[in-house]
Amino acid sequence: MSAADFSVEIDQNEFLPAGAREVNAIVTVTSADSVGGKQPAGAAEIIIVDCSGSMAAPITKLIQAREATAAAIHAIRDGVAFAVIAGSNVATPFYPADGSLAVASAATRDAAKGQLRRLRATGGTAIGQWLQLARSLFETRDDGLRHAILLTDGRNEHESADDLTAAIAWCEGVFRCDCRGVGTDWKVDELRQISTALLGTVDIVPDPAGLAADFQAMMQESMAKQVADVALQVWTPQHATIRFVKQVAPTVEDLTARRTQLTPQKGDYPTGAWGPSESRDYHVCIEVQPGSVGGPEMLAARVSLVYTTPDGPHTLGQGNVRAIWTDDEALSTKISRQVAHYTGQAELAQVIQEGLEARSHGDTSAAEDKFGRAVEIANESGNVDAAGLLSKIVDVDPGTGVVRLKAKVADADAMKLDTQSTKTVRVKK
Amino acid sequence: MPASADVCPGCGATVAAKDNFCELCGRQLAAAQVSADSTVAVTCRGCGSSAWTADGYCEQCGHKAPAGRDHVEIDLGVVAGVTDRGRRHHRNEDAMALLCTQTRAGPVALAVVCDGVSTSHRPDEASLTAAEEALRVLTAEVRVGTSSLDAVTTATNAAQRAVGDLAQESDDAPATTIVCACVTADTVTIGWVGDSRAYWLPADDLGARLLTRDDSVGAELVAVGMLTEAEVAGSSHEHVLTRWLGADAEHSEPHSASFEPHGLGAVLLCSDGLWNYQPSASGLAELMPSTALANLAEAAAQLVEFALDRGGEDNITAVLASFPPNGTPSPPQR
Repeated sequence: MSAADFSVEIDQNEFLPAGAREVNAIVTVTSADSVGGKQPAGAAEIIIVDCSGSMAAPITKLIQAREATAAAIHAIRDGVAFAVIAGSNVATPFYPADGSLAVASAATRDAAKGQLRRLRATGGTAIGQWLQLARSLFETRDDGLRHAILLTDGRNEHESADDLTAAIAWCEGVFRCDCRGVGTDWKVDELRQISTALLGTVDIVPDPAGLAADFQAMMQESMAKQVADVALQVWTPQHATIRFVKQVAPTVEDLTARRTQLTPQKGDYPTGAWGPSESRDYHVCIEVQPGSVGGPEMLAARVSLVYTTPDGPHTLGQGNVRAIWTDDEALSTKISRQVAHYTGQAELAQVIQEGLEARSHGDTSAAEDKFGRAVEIANESGNVDAAGLLSKIVDVDPGTGVVRLKAKVADADAMKLDTQSTKTVRVKK
Repeated sequence: MPASADVCPGCGATVAAKDNFCELCGRQLAAAQVSADSTVAVTCRGCGSSAWTADGYCEQCGHKAPAGRDHVEIDLGVVAGVTDRGRRHHRNEDAMALLCTQTRAGPVALAVVCDGVSTSHRPDEASLTAAEEALRVLTAEVRVGTSSLDAVTTATNAAQRAVGDLAQESDDAPATTIVCACVTADTVTIGWVGDSRAYWLPADDLGARLLTRDDSVGAELVAVGMLTEAEVAGSSHEHVLTRWLGADAEHSEPHSASFEPHGLGAVLLCSDGLWNYQPSASGLAELMPSTALANLAEAAAQLVEFALDRGGEDNITAVLASFPPNGTPSPPQR
C-alpha cells in the first residue's frame, strides 16, 4: 500500500461572504488500476441463506437460492476462506458443518455445492442470530477482507428489533454485508439498516430466477477488493463543528454518526474495502468560526485517506478544504457545481423515501408532493435510473408536469425504488 | 562585546570599517534584515498556537501562516518593524530593511521603508530592491564615518539607480517611494522621496511631529497655500505622487532632514497604508503603548494592527527606531 494507490481531490468554492460559517466540499477518492500490491490481504466470504419455512412457498425460491449460492461459491477465488450459514429462527453452520471456515479449492467448492441440495426450509426468521454466527465464524481467522452475502425472503419476525440492532452493532467494523431480499414479503428498512451499518448494498430480487446472476456478480465484486478498512480522516480547526460527512457517490450514505474520535479535532469515518479503479465521492460540510474579509486563509478541514496496519496509520492521500472570506460577490456567490449536484442527489434520496413513507400511510397528497420534487430533481440531474423507477410509481402530466400516484403500483416496483433511492449519478466535470 | 569597526569580534582579525563581513572568518559584522521572506512564524496570529502543519496551516485554528512578504516582522531590539499585505491587496508591495551596527561614534540604527507604486510594473520588486540597496549603501557609508546627511543622500541615490536598472523597456519602469533613517547617539537623520513618512514620537508625548513632507500633488497644493491640509486629506490629490524612484523619475536630489532630539523617543517610518488612518503625529503617538521604547516590535505590531482594524485598504508598514539607539545590537533573528 502506498500513496500512489489512491488520489484525493477536493471540489469546492473556497470563497465565502463575510460572516459565513458553512464550508462545503466534495472529496473524490479514486483508487489506482491496482491497489495493495500483488498480495491482497487474506479474504473470507460467508453466504447466509434464509432457510425459514416461507422459502418453500413456492419451492422455486429455495431451489433458486441453492443455485444462487452455488454460483457465488463458484466465484470464490482459490485460497479464500468461506462458509455457508443456514438461517431460520436459529443460525446453523451449514458448510463446513463444524463451524470452521473452509479454504476455497476445486475440492472444497465442489463439496460445498454438493451439500446445497440438503438445504431445507423450516422454522422462522431471526436475522440477528445469523449475523452473530457470521461474526463468530469470521473471527476464527484473522483475514483482512471479510464479506458476507445475506439473503432473506421475509421479515425479522422471531426476534425483537432491538435484538437485530444489537447484533448489527456487534458486527460493525468486523465484516461487510450485501443484503438481498427475494420476493416482496421482506422489509426494505430492515435490510437497509444492516447494509448501511455493514457498508454493503441492499437490493430486491423480485423473481427468484434472477438470484444466481446477482449472487455471482456480488461475489465477483467482492473478490476484486484488495484493501480493507480504509478510513476517511477529517481534521477540523478548533471551535469548528462537522455538520455532516456523507458518501454521495455511488450511493448516499450518511457517515456523520460513524465517527471514531481520535482527538477533539480529528476523527475517522469508515469507507470499507476498496478494489482497483474505484471512485467514490464524499460531501463534507463544516461549520467554522468566520474569519475576516481580507484576513488569512483558513484550513476548514483536512481530509485524509488513512489505512491502518499493525505498524500504525498510513496516509494514502490528502486534500485541503479551504475558506477565504471576501466581499467580492462574484467570487462568493458561485456554488461549486459538484456541491450543488450532490446536495440535490441527497435530497432526491430523501424525498423518494419520504414519498414512499407517505404513500404507505395512505397520505396521497403528501406522497405526490414528495414524488413531484423527486421527478424534478431526477430529470434535472440526469438521474435516468431514478426517473425510470419513479415512472412506475407516478404519472407525470406531460403538459402541466403535475405528478399523480398511479392507481395500481406493484409492490416490487415500490420496493425497488426504495432500495435504489440512494443511488446517485455523477456530474460531468 | 559589540562588533567593533576595527576588530572582528569573532576571530580578532582587523577588518575595514566598510566591511560587512570579516574577510578572515566570514562573520557577519552587521546583519541586515530585509522583508524578503516571512521569518518562520513563531505563533499563530489567529489563536496564538505555535504548532504548524507542513503546508503552513495552524494546527489549532486552521489559519494559514503568512507566506513570502505577506506579513513580516523584524525585531533587532533598538529598531523593529512590521509589514503586512493588508486586507484588500493581493500582495505586499511594501518593503523594509533594518540594521543596527556599531561605529566608532557608537551604536547606530538604520532603517529603510519603501512602498512600490501600484500603477508601475513590478512594484514589489522595486520596493525590495530599493530597500536592500539603500540599506547596503547606508551601512557602508555610516561605517566609514560619512556624515549622516550625506549617507542618507548617497543611499537614496543608490536606490534610485538600482530601481532604474530594473526597467527593461521605456514603458516598463518599476517605481517606489523611499524613506530612510539613520539614528545615532545624538542625531536623527531622514532621507526620502515620495509619500512614505517619518515621524518623531518623543517618549513624553509632547512635540510629536512629522519629519517629512510628501512628494504629492496634495502636499504641494498645501505648500503654495491653495488648499488646507484638511481639504487635502482623503482627496484625490493626496496620493498623486510628484516624485518617486524609478527609470521614469526626474532626477533630483532626495530630500533630507536632520535634527538632534532633546530626550528619549522613537522614529517611526511608515507607508501610507498606516498614515492614511492616522496622519497626525500626536495621533500616532497616542497609539503607541507606554512600553513602546522597551518593546519596539510590539509597538510596531500594534500600529499595523490599528490600520488593519480600520480596514487595511493598502499594504501597511511601520518601523520604529529608538533614540538614542542604546544598548548593543541584538543578534540576528533566526
